[in-house]
Amino acid sequence: MSIELADIAYRYTDAVALDGIDLSIESGELLALLGPSGCGKTTLLRVIAGLEFPDRGVVRFEGRDVTRVAARKRHVGFVFQHYALFNHLTVFENVAFGLRVRRFWKRPRGAELKRRVGDLLELVQLGALAQRYPAQLSGGQRQRVALARALAVEPEILLLDEPFGALDARVRGDLRRWLRGLHDRIHVTSVFVTHDQEEAFELADRIAVMNHGRIEQLADPERLYTDPASPFVCRFLGEVNELPPALHARWTGVGGADAIAFVRPHDLELTPTPSAAVAAIVETVRDLGATVRIEARHAALQAPLVAIHERGRFDAGIRPGQLVDVAARRWVIFPRDT
Amino acid sequence: MSPARKPSTALRDPAWLRALLLIVALAFVGLFLVLPLIAVFSYAFEKGVALFVASVTDSDARAAIRLTLLVAAISVPANTIFGVAAAWLITRFRFAGKNLLISLIDLPFAVSPVIAGLIYVLLFGAQGWLGPWLVEHHVKIIYAVPGIVLATTFVTFPFVARELIPLMQAQGSEQEEAALTLGAGGWSMFWRVVLPKIGWGLAYGVILCNARAIGEFGAVSVVSGHIRGLTNTMPLHVEILYNEYNRTAAFAVASLLALLALATLVLKQLAGWRMRRSLPESEAA
Repeated sequence: MSIELADIAYRYTDAVALDGIDLSIESGELLALLGPSGCGKTTLLRVIAGLEFPDRGVVRFEGRDVTRVAARKRHVGFVFQHYALFNHLTVFENVAFGLRVRRFWKRPRGAELKRRVGDLLELVQLGALAQRYPAQLSGGQRQRVALARALAVEPEILLLDEPFGALDARVRGDLRRWLRGLHDRIHVTSVFVTHDQEEAFELADRIAVMNHGRIEQLADPERLYTDPASPFVCRFLGEVNELPPALHARWTGVGGADAIAFVRPHDLELTPTPSAAVAAIVETVRDLGATVRIEARHAALQAPLVAIHERGRFDAGIRPGQLVDVAARRWVIFPRDT
Repeated sequence: MSPARKPSTALRDPAWLRALLLIVALAFVGLFLVLPLIAVFSYAFEKGVALFVASVTDSDARAAIRLTLLVAAISVPANTIFGVAAAWLITRFRFAGKNLLISLIDLPFAVSPVIAGLIYVLLFGAQGWLGPWLVEHHVKIIYAVPGIVLATTFVTFPFVARELIPLMQAQGSEQEEAALTLGAGGWSMFWRVVLPKIGWGLAYGVILCNARAIGEFGAVSVVSGHIRGLTNTMPLHVEILYNEYNRTAAFAVASLLALLALATLVLKQLAGWRMRRSLPESEAA
């Protein structure tokens, strides 16, 4: 089911959470809402779910206006950040909840109920734990119970709020790949919120980068990385060097006091040079295994330059105190922002 | 819920100080709580079991017991419903006048019960604001059972709400939202999610409310009129007996109240223990 959001605005008593969001999500797509905390991404997810009603704007599912439709009538699966499992119910009953609260004549019973809950528990690989209580499960297992519970109502839209936020790094990676695999099998339109760009890149078909209640850029991961729409997107997607014209004009050919070149560490090339005219001084060299991370200081910059060289191409002449010339393989230029 | 941790060594006081504090605390409890309790029971049985039984099965005593139970049976459910509704309103919605409502819920705790009783006399008594209208329609509130129920309900008003508000605040509303997105209506959400979550906290509040409803003296004394066999509750009956120098009978009825208090204490302890287990687990996985 497709989702269209038009000019959505939402304010809390003391702050603007959403400031005119336009977004359309295709049926079967897996979209990430990526942004720093407080950018409005969770609020946007709650607006789609019907847990918050926007002050302005329209929410449409498959062209149908659902802006004022109550959450319980939207048939949207929602996985909460802290799972919000029913602690007094077993895993089986948690998953069965959405089926048990259906209208009397639509309610599956007995063997039918057992079969459907059983299927879902198999899907999330928790068949053996049906009679456990949430308190007896690990974080990753709770997460999967929450997912099975949300899927029980056969939603056509699945919303996940920081789905991996509360898990440790290894479980997070496994679950992420598993979720991507699950999505490829069941093709439910899915939106998830995250502040972790790596997570967004690994999982999503498209990513909406949010800041201050607005969408800064909506693109697929590749495009987002190579062609960021704003300095914010550029900075948010990982470490980046911001170079003034004095440093980059030689190789970018772009002048003017306002042009700032944004260069990723692995696109920055440092070569030993005897000339001190445009050079930076190497401060630290750190071996990271497959790559080498070099920090160098330039008189025109406050922050040190960061370059990451592949081990194979690393010039052994680079060591602390060495003068190096600075160039880039790839860059993006934005005017200096305030 | 993590198991109670041992206090750290750095915070531990010297042995002599701990012993001193313990002795002082125990002495206090013994002098002011245990000793009176023993006294109640020893006076009650001072003239033998036969007299004890006679005192508590006397027709006035039985009427007092019946009335007390009746009053509790009305005011406790009323305050339970009100308490749940108020706690729900306060913890789940933002609205103007919320702080005023919270303060008003506490009012019966702040006001002396005698004044509470007087308010009802001034409102519903023959000389009161609504008195003439009530007399005209032959409705008797003051010096009758309805007045006693009203006064008791007023005094025991805050117990359930006070117990639930912090509990529901701590639990948050995520589970309710989850129930909503799963298609639950208000009714099934309340029975399947909210009630199980707050169950033991609610029981705790109801138990305290019930204890107070049964033991209330001041407010009831003002509105009751002390009509034997008609408007005397157990605490009032005890007072009358005592004033008539019928010490054994007074203590016999009092011992029933004391027994009830002890049972309440046990139940309360149990409910409190289960309630703490229903607080949200630490979310870190």
